[in-house]
Amino acid sequence: MPLDHFRIDDRLIHGQVVVGWGQPCAIGFLVLVDDEVARSDWEQELYRMGVPPEMDVYFDSVESAARRLPEYRADRRCGMLLTGDIDTMERLVARAPDITAVTVGGIHHKAGRAARLRYVFLTPDEEARLRALAERGVTVTAQDVPSASPLSLDALLRGDGSG
Amino acid sequence: MTGDAQTPALPLHLRAAILLRLLAIQGVWNYETMLGNGIAFAMEPALRRLPGGRQGEAYRTAMARHSGYFNAHPYLAAVAVGALIRAELDGVPAAQIDRFRTAAPGPLGSVGDRLIWAGWLPLCSSLALLAYGLGAGPLAVVLLFLLTYNFVHLGLRIWGLHAGWTQGLRVAQALANPLLRQGPAHVARATALVAGVALPVAAHALIGPGRVLLGSVLAAVAAGATLVTLLHGRFEGWRLATLALATFVLYTMVR
Repeated sequence: MPLDHFRIDDRLIHGQVVVGWGQPCAIGFLVLVDDEVARSDWEQELYRMGVPPEMDVYFDSVESAARRLPEYRADRRCGMLLTGDIDTMERLVARAPDITAVTVGGIHHKAGRAARLRYVFLTPDEEARLRALAERGVTVTAQDVPSASPLSLDALLRGDGSG
Repeated sequence: MTGDAQTPALPLHLRAAILLRLLAIQGVWNYETMLGNGIAFAMEPALRRLPGGRQGEAYRTAMARHSGYFNAHPYLAAVAVGALIRAELDGVPAAQIDRFRTAAPGPLGSVGDRLIWAGWLPLCSSLALLAYGLGAGPLAVVLLFLLTYNFVHLGLRIWGLHAGWTQGLRVAQALANPLLRQGPAHVARATALVAGVALPVAAHALIGPGRVLLGSVLAAVAAGATLVTLLHGRFEGWRLATLALATFVLYTMVR
């Protein structure tokens, strides 16, 4: 299964991604899309230490990710693309309309955000942005780990964790 | 970026106070800030050294900053605590500290999950199970588990605080340690080997030579496996394990 998982997670590369998804889905590579990380050597070095030696990690800005997406899709290994926020994913989808599904994997608490699920906290603006993504034809779901059932955008915004 | 200059000494009593507090780092864990409050609590003794002491603005600002959202593996959070203390005491700009607080949790969580939750914990459990199967008494089994597990657990916290303090925000160099990079794969192989030996040996010890319970045990295993498969994605594993454990306790009491 090639690159088909586009995940919004403010933790970017972490245990849930590398162990939770990486092992059962045999993920071979991660694409981390973040304009600031793409410019920062020490942050890239840090994130690189979070993945096992057998897993590749590529760092891209939104522009370079959109440009290299066909290359990533042609990779025979299973891959996952990560952005740290909705805004970054929104900009990527605008440049790569062939992204048809996005998973919200974790957006955590900060001032102004309200709890929707135990791993998703959103501001009203972020809710509107997720709705806008869905209106563009992107299937938006919430799912933290593979063993959990994906929740629809409606269930996510209702805060209905039971799906 | 800290870590390049000559490392100042972290007094022993201060190190001991931080280590003690690190043991309680999950004490006020919650879904909003996760480890955040624990991180600030562990750093607090060192932050008193900021200009102005406990009444100073720098202390209050740092405590507020570090009480915010932070999610990492609880043992490897010691690396972040050491690095953040060094950065605060060295006067690293707040923006750079904030970038580190955003970037560090993921890798620290990932390394810790692979090494401990997916590696060392199952290995120690398998070792204890093997000891039980080989005839060790209850106290010996429990002690074997606690000693082997906590040897690495406590060692990791002590090493983490030292590595973080020494490297400052350049802790990626510390995480490049071969034990952390290659260790999880070796531990996983060892776990597979030990579990493969321990399970039949422990089952034999549990069922005994008469095989009276063999049919019941096999039926329970088959029913459990079916249940887990049917409930996949709808029921969290820890709830199922707790339910099974409670049922077992009730059964032994009634029996």
